[in-house]
Parts: sequence; structure tokens; C-alpha cells
Amino acid sequence: MSQAKKFILTLEEVNKSFEGFKAISNLTFYMDDGELRVIIGPNGAGKSSMMDLITGRTKPDSGKIEFGFDTDLTKLNEAEITRLGIGRKFQTPSVYNEHTVFENVWLSLEGSRSVWTTLFSRVTPERRERIYQVLKTVALDGKADWKAGALSHGQKQWLEIGMLLALNPKLLLVDEPAAGMTDEETHKTGELLLSLEGKHSIVVIEHDMTFVRQIARKVTVLHQGTVLCEGTVDEVQNSEKVMEVYLGRKKKH
Amino acid sequence: MKPLLKFFVIPAGWLLLALAAVAAEAPSGDTPAIRQQLVQTILSSGADQQKLLGGLSETGSKLVGEVLLSWSRGGVYLYPASDGSQVPVLLEDSQDATGKARAIRISDGQFLKDNAGKELRFGDSELTTADTDMRLRSTIRQTLDTLDLSSPDMDTRWSAVTKLGNSQKPMYVPILQARLAKESDATVKRAIQEGVASLQLNDHDPAAQITAIKQLQALNSIGNLQTLQKLAADQKSDPQVAKAARQAVDSIQSHIWWVNFFGTLFRGLSLGSILLVVALGLAITFGLMGVINMAHGEMIAIGAYTSYVVQNLFGTGFAFSINLPFSILGKQLGFGLSLPGLNATGWFYQSYFLFVLPMSFLTAALAGLVLERAVIQFLYRRPLESLLATWGVSLVMQQLFRMVFGANNVQVNSPTWLLGHCSLNDISFGYNRLFVIGFAILIVLGTWLLLTKTPLGLLIRAVMQNRSMASCMGVRTTRVNMMTFAFGSGLAGLAGAFLSQIGNVGPSLGQSYIVDSFMTVVVGGMGSIIGTVYSALGIGISDQVLQQLLGSPVLGKIIVLTCIIFFLQWKPGGLFPVRGRSLD
Amino acid sequence: MRKPTNFELWFVGAAAVLLLVILPGLNLTPPGTLLHVSDFTINLYGKYLCYGIVAISVDLLWGYTGLLSLGQCLFFALGGYMMGMYLMRMIGDLGQYHQPIPDFLVFLGWSKLPAFWQPFSSFAFAMLMVIVLPALVAMGFGFLAFRSRIKGVYFSILTQALTYAGCLLFFRNDMLMGGNNGFTDFKFMCGYDLRQPAVQRGLYICTVLLLLGTYGVCKWLTNSKFGKVQCAIRDSENRVLFSGYATAHFKLFVFVLAAIIAGLAGALYVPQVGIINPSEMATDKSLEAIVWVSVGGRGTLIGPVIGAFAVNAMKSWATRAYPDLWLIFLGSTFILVTLFMPRGIVGLPAQLGGLKKRWLNRKPVDVDPAVTPKEAELAKPNPK
Repeated sequence: MSQAKKFILTLEEVNKSFEGFKAISNLTFYMDDGELRVIIGPNGAGKSSMMDLITGRTKPDSGKIEFGFDTDLTKLNEAEITRLGIGRKFQTPSVYNEHTVFENVWLSLEGSRSVWTTLFSRVTPERRERIYQVLKTVALDGKADWKAGALSHGQKQWLEIGMLLALNPKLLLVDEPAAGMTDEETHKTGELLLSLEGKHSIVVIEHDMTFVRQIARKVTVLHQGTVLCEGTVDEVQNSEKVMEVYLGRKKKH
Repeated sequence: MKPLLKFFVIPAGWLLLALAAVAAEAPSGDTPAIRQQLVQTILSSGADQQKLLGGLSETGSKLVGEVLLSWSRGGVYLYPASDGSQVPVLLEDSQDATGKARAIRISDGQFLKDNAGKELRFGDSELTTADTDMRLRSTIRQTLDTLDLSSPDMDTRWSAVTKLGNSQKPMYVPILQARLAKESDATVKRAIQEGVASLQLNDHDPAAQITAIKQLQALNSIGNLQTLQKLAADQKSDPQVAKAARQAVDSIQSHIWWVNFFGTLFRGLSLGSILLVVALGLAITFGLMGVINMAHGEMIAIGAYTSYVVQNLFGTGFAFSINLPFSILGKQLGFGLSLPGLNATGWFYQSYFLFVLPMSFLTAALAGLVLERAVIQFLYRRPLESLLATWGVSLVMQQLFRMVFGANNVQVNSPTWLLGHCSLNDISFGYNRLFVIGFAILIVLGTWLLLTKTPLGLLIRAVMQNRSMASCMGVRTTRVNMMTFAFGSGLAGLAGAFLSQIGNVGPSLGQSYIVDSFMTVVVGGMGSIIGTVYSALGIGISDQVLQQLLGSPVLGKIIVLTCIIFFLQWKPGGLFPVRGRSLD
Repeated sequence: MRKPTNFELWFVGAAAVLLLVILPGLNLTPPGTLLHVSDFTINLYGKYLCYGIVAISVDLLWGYTGLLSLGQCLFFALGGYMMGMYLMRMIGDLGQYHQPIPDFLVFLGWSKLPAFWQPFSSFAFAMLMVIVLPALVAMGFGFLAFRSRIKGVYFSILTQALTYAGCLLFFRNDMLMGGNNGFTDFKFMCGYDLRQPAVQRGLYICTVLLLLGTYGVCKWLTNSKFGKVQCAIRDSENRVLFSGYATAHFKLFVFVLAAIIAGLAGALYVPQVGIINPSEMATDKSLEAIVWVSVGGRGTLIGPVIGAFAVNAMKSWATRAYPDLWLIFLGSTFILVTLFMPRGIVGLPAQLGGLKKRWLNRKPVDVDPAVTPKEAELAKPNPK
């Protein structure tokens, strides 16, 4: 399959259930390298479960999950998957509240993560520059010495994105980045994500359709743990299947 | 308090009743007739005497046994009456200063008196003894041996049968067989069959031996295993006999294996039940509420001490006083309490345990309530620190126990109906062990019903799953927390009441169970009652099995602990993990 | 590490001078002089300092990594036992039975030394084992526990079971480790007579040095990037996993390091106290160590030492002054400290500073910012 090389992420026939509840059923999903993909879907559609499966938080009951060149993700744990270059931003902002903003990014900086290297790792001028560069990207360079816990909700969201950037991942999984942000912040976030397109492959889960319109090239709709349809924003919004799911509309004609 | 001591306090009316009870227990059967029979036997001679002796053995009377024993030892005397007849008498044990004793007539048990009505006294040599010869003595001995076979008391009969069965004397076979025809009790019947077969093993006829062996095999006679093994190994015995014996040995050994197996299983089950009773309270406070209550052990101790206090209130009362090493204005500080007892006896005293159960539950629940209000309510968001504070509580409580009840263990008597055991197919079941199993089933069922079928249970589950959400929904979480914790502590109190029946009650009683109970809850899966049940039984049974296999309780325990650590490798959430889809 | 550490530096410096120079110096003054410090006091302080070292190891696990180990005294006792084996060999034939092997072995019917006792005649080997044995046990247990992501309360309960099992094991006579009575009646160490005050003073100074060394190592560790990862694990272990750190390795490293520190403290404790027996492994002892940390202030490196000193000094005083009531004192102290001083003695100034604010806007203690909500979540069952 020469085709396989084109995809950075491959999910085939993936199934996962929690105590009888089928969170993911026969999910098949491909993503090209460098693509920015938006996933939408009603609550309980399996969006977050899908992220969990990709990042190794949960293991699938059956199916294939591969990253890049035939790397089987189902065999690896969260840390190993992260080190492969898959970064994830959680739905609720999760940063290290007790650490400073600077330290948060420092901890996420790409590079070796073994016990030994962290013991002797120092903040070299190059690293400091890289950290401030990341902080500048997420507009937090003025607050490097703040404790992350003291940041506002939106700033935490941004810090977490910054932490992802510091990781320099091949694939970014971003779960509802705009949740709890003001319109302006949301717009900025969208611009930030767009600026990353091409450098990283990005998967964004989002509810806010304005935001989706702003950033989306290709949209995947999940419903009941499986892909309902895929296409551009317009295609998806005009799809009868999607309307039915979202609005509960029966076919009228 | 030992039951005997009760006689000091029972009123006179009770004494009369007690005497009446003794009278009612006197041997049944027609006593004057037996006495006549005895007199006749002593006075007759030759073949008649032999026959009469045989007749006496069937009376099963204690009196006969005593008289015959004296007779064979030369203790029966003949008093020449004024009418020329001989009166057989016994001399009383107690002698006066001159070495003379009163004589008791065998015919009616009265003291011998002269015409003036004065009691007669004799020295040993003043009366002729009723003579016995070798043959007579041997018959008397035989009669004595078989006398108990007819005793109205089942246990006496059983031990007589066992004695004869083990005597290796084939001459008893017909006697035993005759008894078998009359015997009504199944246990004694079985013992007779076993005894007969055991005696017949020594038969010279191989066919009879084989029948006996087959019989022993069928009866799974553990007592005859050694004899059978000897027979099987004996070169001189008939090959057929040896073969049958080998088969019987195999069969009995496998029977023993099963007896041990079920015995171990039963002990494991009862140990598991104890663990279960102890851990169930913890499954609620620790498993459901997430509070690490290191004072849980002391809640158990409260239950146990409550049984002690209730017992004493039924007896002579309870009192304590403590002097504190502080004084104010020259007066030493201290406090104490004195409660009068009911001085109950008999069934009323024995029923104290029925009051113990609710009392222990309530006392421990109350203590739990206070603990929750005073300490734990501030620590719901800091579970690891609740461990520290409650450990402090545990130290304080242990010291209070020491001050109130003393540093030594206190004595809690089991009611008589919890003592003893019954056995089924050689496996013995102690009543207290049976009781704990039944008790465990009841309280697990009760807890389960409370949690799943009552409105309170619904509230408890709601609050335990999400305290703040439940609070938002209008549930009075403070109250529910309080009730839940009190309930869990009450269960610990019940466990204590039970432990007081099977072990020592001391200030550190709770400490010996705390590690085990935490392990039980962790293995079962926190928050899962059914998991706690399985893990308690599993740990209890494997502990007993390992103890049996290794012959060392400590080593068994260590292996169980190690196994638990490995078990959690395989199932980190315990047997029945409570799953969630939340992020952390 | 939170605040500028000027005060801490001064404190540590002053304490070092006091413990290392002044106290031993005053010990040398003739008895009866005003400032004389008795041999007993030196010995007692040596004991407290050993406890202080254990407390630091507990805090390294609990305060910095969020691992509440209820089994730290197992490692302490293991280190002590290893040293004890060497000291037993050094008794030579001066025991009650005047045999070349330890008395309890004679009592158990042994006529020659069991094989595993042989190398303990060498001080170097014993010291190696003081480090290696606790490290190995910690590594084995830690590997299993962290691999299956046992954490929070589960971890605490399991470590408690571990030390309980160890305690049961050492109570057995056929372990050939002295059973119930353990080791005692030590006479010599490296050729010095342990009963000499000068030797005890030397041991005391070694203990101070070990404490300072431990402090230094832990200070460096917690200030390094490793320390940041450590605290991150405490606050949000899952997030650390998603930053690509294999948290299990980090936790294992800290666990083994803490075990080694505790083992070393145990090794210095035994010759000063003169006895080691299985009761040192009892679950109570480990809980006590937790209390020292809690009283002193966790998440700091001086807090645990202060706590160990304060609690043990109080214990010594109360057991003598109120033999019947001291457990009540001790217990009540733990309750009160947990409830009202969540940051311990070290955190007291800050707490008092915030008192006025709190007085105006009274809230239950449990909203103290020192306590992360993460801890509440640690207690929840493992979602896996």
C-alpha cells in the first residue's frame, strides 16, 4: 500500500466500549500530513474518546491506529506517544498551576525526557530564547514569572497551546480550544492555529461553528462513535444526514 | 464472670429451681427395682449370680456401676440382721475419729439403724465382705464395661461403645450387636458398627475380616486407619485381606483429604466472614467516602468494649474512675462512672448478646458521628491528610480505652448457645463460626438493601459520586456525609461485637485488623460492596489454605500480602473497579 | 523553593554551626558546668537527627512527588538491620554464650555462621548492603506499583502492607535475624568501643553530616528540572504523561532514592540507640514519620527536620511527665496540626500573616491554597 505513506494518522475499524456503552464503533479515519482537520459532532459522539485512543489514554477493543510510517499506537503508552510527536491539548485547560509560566513551557520543551537528562538539564541561553519565542507566539511573554494558576482561563488555554508548540509535535490534537474564551480571544486562537498549518498536522475538535468556519478546510462529522460525513464546511452544513443528527429533523421531502 | 460464680448472687428462689433441675436429671428407670436386683445379685451365687449380673448390665444405671465397682474392690459388706438374713451394705466414705463409718443399705439407700433408731457405725474389719472370686470379678468388670451401653445419656453410650470398639476383644462383638438392635441414636449406631467391624478385624476367618474391612471402608473410619495400614502392610495376612485393607486405606485417606479440605474451606469461609464484617464498614467510609479512617480499628474496639459493658450491666454492673495528673486548688481532677448491674442469670443473662448487637452499632455510630463532625468534615478535600488526623484520633482512643478498661484484655463470655460445635461427616462446624457466616450474610444483605433500595441509599450514592453536584441538586450533603460515616462506623461496631465473641478484647484490638481490612477494600475495588465480599472471602480462604499447606500462619499471611501486590498489577482498580470517563 | 531562600539558608547555616560545632564543643566541657551538654543529650539528638533524615525522605516522596508512603520505616529498619548484622559480628565471642557467632544463633542451635552472615564481618560490605538492600526492595516494589499506575490512597495502603509483611517476616526466628528481640548488646564498630562517649559523639557528628548531605542533595534535586517534573507529577500526573515524561521512571527514581536515604539514617541510628528489632518496621513508626513531616511542614526541606525534632522532643517530655496521657497529647497534636496548620510549623508565619484576612472573611480550613485540589482527585479510584 503505497497510499499508506501519505497519511500521518490512520484509524481503521476501531471499536471501543465502556461497560456496554459503545463509545467508538467501526471508526475509520485518515489524515494527510500537514492537514488542518476539524472534527465536529454532538455531545457523546466520541470525539474525546477518539483523542483518548490516539494518545494512548485508552486502548481500543479492536482496530488499527497508526501514526506516520506504520507506527502502531495501540502498543504504546501516553508518554511514548507524546515523544513520537503527538501533542494533545485537553478540553479543560490543564497546565501546572504551581509552576511558573516559564517552567510550564520549559517542562514541555522538546528533547530527551529521561530521568538522567532532567537531573542535569540547565536552562541554556538557546533554550531560554526558544521558550520566550514560544511565549511570544501565545502572547504570554510578559507573564513568564507568573504562576500558571494565576492566569485567566483563556490565558491558560493559550499557555497549553504554547506547551504544545514547545514540544514541536508532528501532530497536534486540540480539544475545544475556544471553550470559555471571549470572541476576540477565539478569533486570535483561530489565527494562531491557521498560522501553524503546514508546519504541523492539526486536528481540532470544536463546537463553535463561527470558529469552525474561520479555520476549517476539511470537516469530519462524528456521530455515535463513527464518521457520519466528511467534506468542506458548506458541504457538511448542507448534508441532510448532519441536519438530521443536529436538529433532529426528519426527512420532509 | 464464669457461670459458676453466679451462684453467689442468685436469690434463694433460683437455688430451689436449680435443685429441682438436678433432681430431674437423676437416672431414669425404676430405682427400687434396680436396688432389689442388686441385693439379689450379691446374695446369690454360681450360675444364677452370673445371669443376674448380665441382667444388671442392661439397666444402664449409675448406681449399679458404683455398687459393682465397690463390690469388685471388696467394698460391699454383709450385715447379719436380727432375723438371720444378710443385708448387703456399703460403708460411708467419711469416718469418725475411731475410724468407723455409717453403713448404707443397698436395698433402699438408707443408713443402717439399730432398733432404737440410732445410726450404726462400723470399722472395716467389723463386717464380713461380700466375697468375690476371680471369675466373678471378671464378670463384674465385663458388666461394668457394658453397663454404660444402656446409659440414657447419649454421650456416655457413645464413649462406652468407642471404648469397647477399641478394646481389641472380640468377645464384645455379640454385646455390641445386641445393643445395635436396640439403639435408636444414629451417631451411636454408627459408632457401634464401627466398633464391631474394628473388633472383627482380628477375626481368624479372612472372609469375616474382609467384610469388616469393607464395613470400615464404607464407614470412612478414620480411627481405624492405622490398624488397616498395619494390616495392609502385614506380610502374614491373607493376600485378599491385605488387598481389601489397601483399598480401605486409600478410601479412608481420600476421605481424610476431603474432610481437611472442607474443614479448611469452612474455616476460610468463617475467617473471610470476619474480614468481611470488619471491612464492610471500611468499604463505606473508605471505599465510598474516600476517607482514610485510621481510627476504624478503634470503632471496632468500641463495639467490642460495648459488649463488655452490656455483659457487665447484665451481671454485676460496671464502674471505672480515672485520676488525671492535674489538680486545681489542691483537688485532684478526675472522672468516673458507676452503673449498677441487673444481676441477671440463666437465659436472661445469656440473652445479653441480643442487646449487644444494637448497642454496639449505636455506640460506634455515635462515636463515628462525633468524629465526622469534629474532624473529618474538614478533610473531605484532603483525603491523604484525613489519614493523619484520624491516626491521631486512633492514638487518643486507644489511650482512653486503656484508662477506662485497663491495659489488659477484658473477659467477654460467649453465651452458651454460641459455644460448642456440631459435626457432619467428620467435619466439625463450630457454632460461633457458623454464626459469623450467617451474621456476615445478614449485614451484607442489609447494607446492600440500604444502599440500593432506600431513598437514603440513593442520596448516599449521589453524594459519594459527586459531592458538589449533589449539593447543587439540593441534597443536604452535610447530613448525608454524617449519616454515611456514622453508618460505616456502626458496622465497625457490629464487627467489634462479633470479635468480642471469638477473640481477646483489648485496647489494641482494632490495630490487628486495620491493615487486613484496608487490603480487603482495595482488592475488592473501592466503592464496590460486592467486590469487598468477594475479596474478603478470597483472602480469608487463601489465608487458611496457605496456612494448611505451609503449616505457618505468618508465612501464609506474607504470601497473601505478596499475592495481593501482584494481583493489583493485573487489576489495579481491584476486582470490581468503579469506572469513569472523567479525565483524571 | 517557593520563596527566596534567604531565611532558609540562614537557618540551615545556623543549625549546622549549632549542631556540628557548638553542641559537641559544649559536650567536651566538664560535667557540672553551666553550659555542659550531657552525653545523653548528644545521644538523644543523634537519634532525633536520624529521624530528621527519615523525615526528609518521606517529604521527598510526599511533599514533592505526592506519593504518601506508609512504609518508609521499612527501609529505615532494613538499613539498620544491615548495620546491625555488622555490629553483631563485631561482638565476637564476648556474648553471653562466649561463642564466635551471635548469641541468638547459638540459642537457635546453630554452631557455625549461616552463609549469608559471612560477608557481614566486613564494614565495607555492610555499608554497601545498607544502600543496596533498601534500594533493591524499593526498586522491586516500586517497579510493580508504578508500572501498574497504583497511586494515591492505593499506593499508601500497599506500602503499609509491604512494611507489615516485612515486620511479620522479621519477627520469625527462622529468618535468622534475631526474631522478636532483634539485635542488641553491640560492643564495637570499626574497632572503636561504642560505649565510649567520644565514639558516640563521633557518630553524632556523622549523623549531622549525613543530614546536611541529604539536605544538600535534596535541595539540588528539587531545584533541578527533575524537581520541576517531580512537583508536576504531584500536581497533575496525567498532564506530565502527556508532556512525554515516563512518570513511572521518575517516581521509581525518587522512591529508590528515598529508600536509600532512609536506609542510611537507619544505619546510623542503630549504633547510637544500641538496638534494632522488628518493631521499627511496624506500621505505626512509618505513620509517625508522616506526622513529623506534617507537623514541620511538607513541601519544604527544613520542615521535616524541624517536625521530627519537635514531635520527638515533645514525646520524650510527655512520656516522662505524663506517662498515662502522652498518647493523648500526641494524638491531639496530630489532629490539631492537620486541621489548623496544614502547612506545618514552617508555614506558620505565612499562615499567621494571612490570619487577619481570614478573620474578616472566615472560611473552613480546607480551602487553604497550599492544598491542591489534585489531592482530592488522587483519592479517587484509578480510572483504568
